[in-house]
Amino acid sequence: MSLLSQLTEPLSYTFMVRALLSCALIGFTNGFLGTFVILRRQALMADALSHSLLPGLAVAAIFLGLSPAGLLLGGLIAAMLVALGGQLMARNSRLKDETAIAALYIIAFAIGIVLIRFAKVKVDLTHFLFGNILGVGNGDLWIAYGATFLTISTLVLFQRPLLLTLFDATVARTSGIRVGWLESGLLVLIVLGLVASLQAVGVLLSLGLLILPAATAYLMTNSFSRMLWGGAILGSLSAVGGLFLSFYANIPSGPCIVLLMAIFLGGAYFFSPRYGLLLRFVIKHHYHDESLERWKGHQDHEHHHLPDAD
Amino acid sequence: MNHLSKNSDSLLTLRDLTVSYHRVPAIHHVSLNLAAGHCVGIFGPNGAGKSTLLKAIAGLLHPETGKILISGNDVSGAAPLIAYLPQRESIDWDFPITVAGLVETGRYHQVGLCGSFSRRDTVAVEDALALFNLTSLAHRQINELSGGQQQRAFLARAWAQEADLYLLDEPFTGLDRTSCSALSSALGTLRDCGKLLLVSHHNIAEAEAIFDTAILLNGELIAYGSTAEVLSPRHLECAYGTAIYSGKQTGKKP
Repeated sequence: MSLLSQLTEPLSYTFMVRALLSCALIGFTNGFLGTFVILRRQALMADALSHSLLPGLAVAAIFLGLSPAGLLLGGLIAAMLVALGGQLMARNSRLKDETAIAALYIIAFAIGIVLIRFAKVKVDLTHFLFGNILGVGNGDLWIAYGATFLTISTLVLFQRPLLLTLFDATVARTSGIRVGWLESGLLVLIVLGLVASLQAVGVLLSLGLLILPAATAYLMTNSFSRMLWGGAILGSLSAVGGLFLSFYANIPSGPCIVLLMAIFLGGAYFFSPRYGLLLRFVIKHHYHDESLERWKGHQDHEHHHLPDAD
Repeated sequence: MNHLSKNSDSLLTLRDLTVSYHRVPAIHHVSLNLAAGHCVGIFGPNGAGKSTLLKAIAGLLHPETGKILISGNDVSGAAPLIAYLPQRESIDWDFPITVAGLVETGRYHQVGLCGSFSRRDTVAVEDALALFNLTSLAHRQINELSGGQQQRAFLARAWAQEADLYLLDEPFTGLDRTSCSALSSALGTLRDCGKLLLVSHHNIAEAEAIFDTAILLNGELIAYGSTAEVLSPRHLECAYGTAIYSGKQTGKKP
């Protein structure tokens, strides 16, 4: 068999084409969203949200069966309840918000595992936990299209106020930006991104799509928009690449995708030209000439402006 | 002196302003008129309400009683006229943004959600960078600047925003002497351009070189007027000598 035909072999299966398309879309969306999660320092909050999807999925499976729209709605509601409940609990007690949210999400996760046993339809817990990319149906694909369109268009439209909010919420608020609304909207989109990636990687690994590509981009660039689009493209490519790898190596797709993303993150961590660990030792990156010039400038400056200084 | 201006030509008017945290007033019954073209230092012991006053004017805290007026109009809706410079610790200096990018955010109000930068916006950004000697550093990430340069980058952002009122919370904290003098000359430039600057500050020794006007706070307004007059030993004893000053208010009244 030639190399080319080996490469195109997966494309001859309809389920595989659907899975690849789905991976490309959710990889892109989550990679894009990841920038906002990382710059808000909410990576672990997102992890809590991904776990709290489970009871929602279980309730949806009990009442609505395995329809993708029902699962989407269930997951969305459960995650919102945990996020809002955590804030409410923190506001009304001595518990700090990260304790409150951690407590609620782990309780929600346990409830989810119990509830799934009561589903009428036969539900495989591992399917929810680790995903089942080859079972992507048309409904799942529509959700992936919808989530991608909604997320990217909203975030691009509100990119400017969001940038300011992420950078410094106080400055944003004094500039007349409705910080609370933006943050709530962002939370909804993050949950949507997580739910959309369930079919591919499941509850437990969905955080990987959200965090790893954007973290990689963060180590590579100093530009907000390059981090956004770079994270999205990297997420898309590595999700597709991971699925191909899983096809050839016969490994489950979720871990394959996450590990491929991890390789990119590791690469950036060690070899990023700006913030890489290795190159920091090899190339002494500083501004000696400039700082010397500045120092001379300051000397002159002091003599001109502060003649009476001691 | 003209900094104790009449109501009509004042840029910032506080009328009987009280701001509370959980029903405990941090500042109470403060009334002031301040005209454009002044650099005003806010002094007082820890917990005197310096930051509270700035945050209330910036719209971050809601007054319990009283009013804040900008050019005679209510403060809500005057957002682009006010530039608030946060304390340095509150900022994520690793944020992926360059100096030029930061200054550009000052134009967001003018260009709107999706509008592209016009020639006028670009010129405003370039002017702001040039005014604060940041042109050569425009493409640096903000963490690659010294403390003084970081302060100037935020001032440049406010300039690009075309703000009239600058609120600075302890901008001199942690700066070395060189950076301090650069910052105070930058503040002087802004004052000479007709801006009103309100700066919370704790170093009384060097106050007169930086500020032409001073406000002395300790929960309530103890004095305001020219810096030399306000920071006289008599007033300072009122502000710093006792924990809570409850005597008669001194200093000039509007």
